[in-house]
Amino acid sequence: MRPRPEFTLHDLLYNTVARDPHHTAVVDGDAKYTYEDLERQSASLGAALAEAGVGRGDRVGVYLEKSWEAIVAMLAASRIGAAYVNVNPLFKAPQVEYLAGDCDIKVMIGDTQKLEELQPKTVQTAFYKGAKPEGPAAGSYVDVAEALAGEGLKEDTNVSESDLGTILYTSGSTGMPKGVSTSQRNVVAGAQIVSTYLENTPEDRILSALPLNFDAGMSQFTTSLRVGATLYLLRSRLPGDLLKALRRHEITSVTGVPPLWALLIRGARSIRENPLTHLRYLANTGGRIPQANLDELRDLLEPAGTRIFLMYGLTEAFRSTYLAPEEIHRSSPEQGNCIGKAIPNTEIMVITKEGKEAAPGEPGELVHRGPTVAMGYWGNEEATRKAYRPNPLAPPELLDVERVVYSGDTVERDAEGYLYFLGREDAMIKNQGYRLSPEEVENLLLGSGLVHEACAFGVENPAVGQDVIAVISLRNGSEEGAVDRVREYAINNGPPYMIPKEIVLRDVLPKTGSGKIDRKGISSAYSNG
Amino acid sequence: MVSSNGDAKAAIRGWLQENVTGGRDVANDEPLIDNGVMTSLQTVELVVFLEDTFEIVVEDEEFDEENFGSVEAIARLVESKAT
Repeated sequence: MRPRPEFTLHDLLYNTVARDPHHTAVVDGDAKYTYEDLERQSASLGAALAEAGVGRGDRVGVYLEKSWEAIVAMLAASRIGAAYVNVNPLFKAPQVEYLAGDCDIKVMIGDTQKLEELQPKTVQTAFYKGAKPEGPAAGSYVDVAEALAGEGLKEDTNVSESDLGTILYTSGSTGMPKGVSTSQRNVVAGAQIVSTYLENTPEDRILSALPLNFDAGMSQFTTSLRVGATLYLLRSRLPGDLLKALRRHEITSVTGVPPLWALLIRGARSIRENPLTHLRYLANTGGRIPQANLDELRDLLEPAGTRIFLMYGLTEAFRSTYLAPEEIHRSSPEQGNCIGKAIPNTEIMVITKEGKEAAPGEPGELVHRGPTVAMGYWGNEEATRKAYRPNPLAPPELLDVERVVYSGDTVERDAEGYLYFLGREDAMIKNQGYRLSPEEVENLLLGSGLVHEACAFGVENPAVGQDVIAVISLRNGSEEGAVDRVREYAINNGPPYMIPKEIVLRDVLPKTGSGKIDRKGISSAYSNG
Repeated sequence: MVSSNGDAKAAIRGWLQENVTGGRDVANDEPLIDNGVMTSLQTVELVVFLEDTFEIVVEDEEFDEENFGSVEAIARLVESKAT
């Protein structure tokens, strides 16, 4: 079979199956699946989705713990021209219902226990993994196991690289999470670019420790698929499980966020006694590793031959820059938070407030140009126009034909072209590698019915990025134990990283001149004790 | 100092109430990891607490979901070390 040009996710699968159908694609617990299994079962699930009425451009939600079925679901939706929407498995019902409504999910593929928590008719049809769900979360139900074993597609849908491939939900500095609409071309370009600079091969054994709803987590799957490597699914984030997985599977490649490395370092003694000699590289994303942890990681891993990549990316353009292992010394307390240079086939511009290219050493906004620039935010034209703008450095003859992404991050470039992250001006909170807007936290707390006003913000804490702090006033004055009840409501109705580390009670919240809650004032008053 | 025999469960539940659940008591067999009661960072804090309180050392490889999945499991690990 001749290899196909790489236009869509399914082309990547097709080529890998053609090269080596019996190679192990995915290891989920004790179960191993080959690329041929992936081809056959994604065709069967694709046929079942089509049977349930899913057509080109429709959205298919995947609300599963990381599993074989979650991997098959992405390919199944793709090959019938639908877009998959990976839902954070830590989400509780309110977040899932918001997301299902926001992008109008037609079919939700989910774990039974998760589906049962949802409001009636959250989706038309649900595909369940487990026993048949009780309750009316969906109008009708289909058993995933039966769908995977069913007859495959008669023929593949004609899917184009311009079709919507997936929607990646991410938080910004304001409002509720936004769906970054990512085309098939974006997904494929991301896989090509990342597998190029990480030099992935079929011999790689890639540990999937990040959630699949996170762009870098999905990228591990797409890069693995493209080169025909083996993906090992890890659900636990406890250090013992991480260490055992790295050893037992002789993992060559791992990508994670800073808190994961803090856990890995906890196993320092064990790693020194028994070094991770198979680990070819470790790639970090989702924030800066505290310097002490980076030094210790280098000390633990580099002698055994592991290379450390520091990556920077924003979901709006998938991945943006990386600092090569040979240059890692450039990220230091003296030199600053070096995020390296542009990923292949990509241009990173530093644009001043006047819209000009910044000189070396001059701060400006990081602006991303290249094939991973996504299509925009689903159903949010205003936000799309703000972040996805015409290329500011385009020649006058080509004005307004190409969109680039304005990141909101302030950076500067040194004389050698290396980029340094300086900070953000807005109120976005980064906790444990997750982005959060203050409103999401505030809405969660207000949902308890006990809270009159809420103000959330982030406070720097190198171990986690930022701690989430909330200052609230109560509806019925200061009731005994009310703060505990608010906290308990939040824990039951939100993912762990959205729960404030501290909830501070005030009689009233200070307002700005225009009568809005003064988040800046409250946040600096908190930080100054 | 908390003695280890039988008090481990109460001490762990007390710590969870104070540091994780906002006052709600946790059942001994309630899953702590699967449904996201505790974040991985909180489990690290819990291990520090257990090591200090019971004067034990949790080995790197023991720090996994099998041993930290419920109050019962954690207490079993603690008691196996304290004897």
